[in-house]
Amino acid sequence: MFINRNIKRIILAICLIILIFLPKFIAGYGIRILTAIFMYAIIAQGINLMSGYMGYLPFGNAMFFGVGAYITAIMMAKGLTFLWAMILGGIASILVSTLFGLPVLRLRGHYFAIATIGVSGALLSIVQNATEITGGAMGTTLPVIEGSPQVTYSYFYWGMLTLMIVVTLIISYVMKTKFGYGIRSIKANEEAADAMGINTTQHKVITWAISAFFTSLAGSIYAYWMSFIAPDEVFNIMIIVHAIVILLIGGMGTVLGPIIGAFIIELLSEVAWSNFLEYHLAVMGIVTLIIIFFIPKGVVGTFSEIRKKRKIRQGEKEAV
Amino acid sequence: MKENLILKIESLSKNFGALKAVDEVNFEIKKGEIVGLIGPNGAGKTTVTSLITGALPKTAGRVFFNNIDISNLKPYQIARKGLARTFQVVKPLIGMTVEENILVGSLYGKSGRNSNIKDACRRTREIIKLVGLDKKRNYSVSDITLPDLKRMEFARVLAMEPEVVFLDEVMAGLNPAEVDEASKLVKMVRDEKDLTIVYIEHIMKAVMEISERIIVLHHGKKIKEGSPQEVADDPAVIEAYLGKRYAAKEVTK
Repeated sequence: MFINRNIKRIILAICLIILIFLPKFIAGYGIRILTAIFMYAIIAQGINLMSGYMGYLPFGNAMFFGVGAYITAIMMAKGLTFLWAMILGGIASILVSTLFGLPVLRLRGHYFAIATIGVSGALLSIVQNATEITGGAMGTTLPVIEGSPQVTYSYFYWGMLTLMIVVTLIISYVMKTKFGYGIRSIKANEEAADAMGINTTQHKVITWAISAFFTSLAGSIYAYWMSFIAPDEVFNIMIIVHAIVILLIGGMGTVLGPIIGAFIIELLSEVAWSNFLEYHLAVMGIVTLIIIFFIPKGVVGTFSEIRKKRKIRQGEKEAV
Repeated sequence: MKENLILKIESLSKNFGALKAVDEVNFEIKKGEIVGLIGPNGAGKTTVTSLITGALPKTAGRVFFNNIDISNLKPYQIARKGLARTFQVVKPLIGMTVEENILVGSLYGKSGRNSNIKDACRRTREIIKLVGLDKKRNYSVSDITLPDLKRMEFARVLAMEPEVVFLDEVMAGLNPAEVDEASKLVKMVRDEKDLTIVYIEHIMKAVMEISERIIVLHHGKKIKEGSPQEVADDPAVIEAYLGKRYAAKEVTK
């Protein structure tokens, strides 16, 4: 069960190679499920950064998914290429998060989670009512890529996969920097962090902007992938609830937790869906409860806990 | 004399509603001193510390550090200028190891201005050795004892490379042997790191031994300032600690 760093790297590399070449071998439905898994892993990574590492639950993060999706739709309708539309969506999300983060993130603790739901709701209303720009509550369409579904779906598959890997690598890098230690200190004890010279408000706002940017990019790819979006679908708080469950099961504050959690939850959800069509949400709920009850730190968190204890024991032996 | 001055407190006050927790307190700290800040429970010692380090907003008064007015700065800005504190109730960074806790101090604080993570790690190792936490460095802070936590907080403050350190009741909850050890550590570190230390303490033995000068607070006011001997002989101080009857006895004797 104990795997050292090199073996872990080899396993990850093999998984990655399999994932990259998978669209050549499996059918459309499987590709779609995997794309959705990657998408949720990205959203969960955004929450992980905010909540798992910094201790601020961004309940309204779906707004950035929505902003990303809508800006992409609007900009592509104006003739921009997808890549530029996606980047503009990301910038818009950073602006929104900074605008609301600067006042709200001065507060400590749980107010933030509630406030983000409010902001998310407000944005949803705006999108629903600005019919001329957004198409209103009926939703809006995006251009469809030419080609057979098998081929176009694999583009989105690779797109989401790349984004998931990039996001994960960035987070894993950031957590090893000074900034990473800063935000972990905020979660651990904000007053002590402040007294140690950490500009907590600045750290919180920047972290939320990064989280918003990642979530927004996932929203952009989703919009182009679905080629139709509606406000109550992309601004849906259930996206975040789903991602939080993923994060709990994978492990809060771990780099691979969101990815492993996304695989577990989405695959479980598939099994529940195909076997208990009517009760699948109830089955999912019970399974989630059981997992949280027995491994509260999540799959990855539990493993790293065991490894840490082992390291301490070794340290004691060396000291003796 | 004046160029030696590192910290100057001018008519510092704090009201909590009608209660004057700190009332027009003035004092000066010279570079390299160990100053004891004492007083009975509720005298306002911790409040004074919180006001100086910016953790609490002041009702009135000004604080000068190296002749710069720092009265309106935020705690993190004051910490970066070189004024660090420990907490009466320890505030470890839970979920991190002992080493990581100290590393954060080293990464930020005054030392954090242009630090890269390698330098910070090296400094952290040195400080861990200095305070004698080598064996516990990989422990999670939730797995170590209170004396070790206090040691860790002290180390964390040192890692910030401050000029002035406020030690808020670092001895509370330690047994006499541990107090002796901690006193030695504080003195040793002061000499080695060229620090100025303001020492807030209940345990009189420790304060008397370690301080070169003592400031006594009572009901938010400064009632005495002087050498440990002068303070111990002062009737007002004895009265504040032990009550009127005992003070009268001392004087007639």
